[in-house]
Amino acid sequence: MAEHLLVADGLGKTYGDVVKTTALSDVTFSVERGEFASVIGQSGSGKSTLLNLIGLLDTPTTGQVLVDGRETAALGRRGRARLRNELLGFVFQFHHLLPEFSVVENVLMPGLIAGRDARRSRVRAEEVLALLGLEGLEDKNANELSGGQKQRVAIGRALLNEPALVLADEPTGNLDTANTARVYELFRKVNAELGTGFLIVTHDRSVAQQTDRILEISDGRLVQDVRNTYAAPAP
Amino acid sequence: MLSLRIAARFLRRNPVQSGLIAAGIAVGIGVQVFLGSLITSLQQNLVDETVGSSPQVTVVAAAEGDPVDLTPTMWDALSRDDRVTTAVPVRRFSAIYRRKAESVPLQVVGGDLGALDTIYDISKRVVAGRARLSGDAVIVGKDFAKANGLAPGDAATLVLPDGRVAGRTVTAVADFGAAAANETLAFVPAGFAGDVLDLGDGQYTAVEMQVSDVFQSTAVADALRADPAFAGTKVTEWQSQNRDLLTALQSQSSSSYTIQAFVLIAVALGIASTLAISAVQKTRQIGILKAMGMHDSRAGRIFLWQAALLGVTGAAVGVGVGLALIVLFSRFASTFTITPQWSFVAVSFAVGVLVALLSSLIPSRRTSRLDPIEVIQSG
Repeated sequence: MAEHLLVADGLGKTYGDVVKTTALSDVTFSVERGEFASVIGQSGSGKSTLLNLIGLLDTPTTGQVLVDGRETAALGRRGRARLRNELLGFVFQFHHLLPEFSVVENVLMPGLIAGRDARRSRVRAEEVLALLGLEGLEDKNANELSGGQKQRVAIGRALLNEPALVLADEPTGNLDTANTARVYELFRKVNAELGTGFLIVTHDRSVAQQTDRILEISDGRLVQDVRNTYAAPAP
Repeated sequence: MLSLRIAARFLRRNPVQSGLIAAGIAVGIGVQVFLGSLITSLQQNLVDETVGSSPQVTVVAAAEGDPVDLTPTMWDALSRDDRVTTAVPVRRFSAIYRRKAESVPLQVVGGDLGALDTIYDISKRVVAGRARLSGDAVIVGKDFAKANGLAPGDAATLVLPDGRVAGRTVTAVADFGAAAANETLAFVPAGFAGDVLDLGDGQYTAVEMQVSDVFQSTAVADALRADPAFAGTKVTEWQSQNRDLLTALQSQSSSSYTIQAFVLIAVALGIASTLAISAVQKTRQIGILKAMGMHDSRAGRIFLWQAALLGVTGAAVGVGVGLALIVLFSRFASTFTITPQWSFVAVSFAVGVLVALLSSLIPSRRTSRLDPIEVIQSG
């Protein structure tokens, strides 16, 4: 097992061929197993670009991303897709559930993509739904749920393959205060019970202050990386 | 098979759209099956009408007017060739039917009724009287009988090639299936024809044959020409004597193929455009699946499977529609029976599925190239 779960090493991203726009430059940090961290920054600061790079959805112009000690640029699109499936879970601002499938099918989709046994994936999906307080909704269509329920289903989907790290991009951006609080409680619970790492991207400082580590991005650069001891849950 | 499962779900989610594409394929393949079978049956019917009840390969003497000496080696050669279904030795001559001051020309064929039936099917074509070829019998065509007021049992006087006059008795009137034959063809016993032509035993004017596949006549004729047993004879066959008919059949086939090709192109364009729209509609889902780790080629296969499902369903329904059209057409609109050509039906089905698969190539490629962040960032 590698020392760090994820290493961002001098990451830079420039868009455009003629007119070049630098979205991110020289960002270096590492994430350990089971960390509960946040990336904070203004809109347009480059935090989503950073998330796409470390989520292996995009490739950096300079620098490299190492996941579990592996250099991801060398893996190719197929290899990165596999790593995403096995080691990473995604929660986006929009739930992005598949309307063609039921709640439980949405949750077990990453298991099916991984080629895992369907019956065992289903059992695991039901466990995850129970953990998220969504019992009884398994066979409903994803479209029949409320906004908060949909986002919890999306979280369940991100957790199915027992990822080492969940990347969450403004996961509560579309939720009301009560649902927002509930989602962070769940993140904390999963982090404590399953040891899953979380990296939450947000523009909201009050959200970031609930995490153990805050990375601040401004104008495409990492300007702050601090430990936040106040946020640790009561023992 | 996750791609297949997702493809099936995508199709079920938009039942109207899926139904319309499948219906488009069904119409195309239905037309294909119906038109293909119609043209093939029509051609078979035409060929059957033209040469079904007449000799397809004929052996005559090389020198005009000479008889053919039918030797045992010739018979052996003919019976050895599986393609020859029947070989009938005949004695043909021209005669004139005389009635008062009128003279009507006749083509007279002398032979044994049993053997003649294998080509001319006389016994089954009798419309009055009873088929019999012995003694002074003559069997005439129905138009000839009508024009000359002849009925079974009536006497008929023939003026023979050498000027002699022979009295015959009409035993039957038959419908030979073609106006020319019904007006001028007559059958007499082999012995009488031998006397008229002054031929010995084993001497005939021609040996007439039918072959199992009418389009094999050229090959059969070539084989006989090459056979030493047939030295001194001349072999003719129907295809070289019916060039116009063959050209017409070929043109009919070409026009039918053209129509079928354009129907398939129209179907392909329909499927391609609808699948392209479907691919755009499902961009978000594909992006999410990719973010979750589905690799590019697997994502691309979703649309290939959609096309395969639509192709198989549409083509199967299309075959049903085509067969139903064939039954309806045969029953209500046609004077001849259309026989479904099963091999052609199978090919049409396969073509339907193939066209659907080809039409999915563009959406499949676009899907496999889709970058998940395009979808995630736009929400």
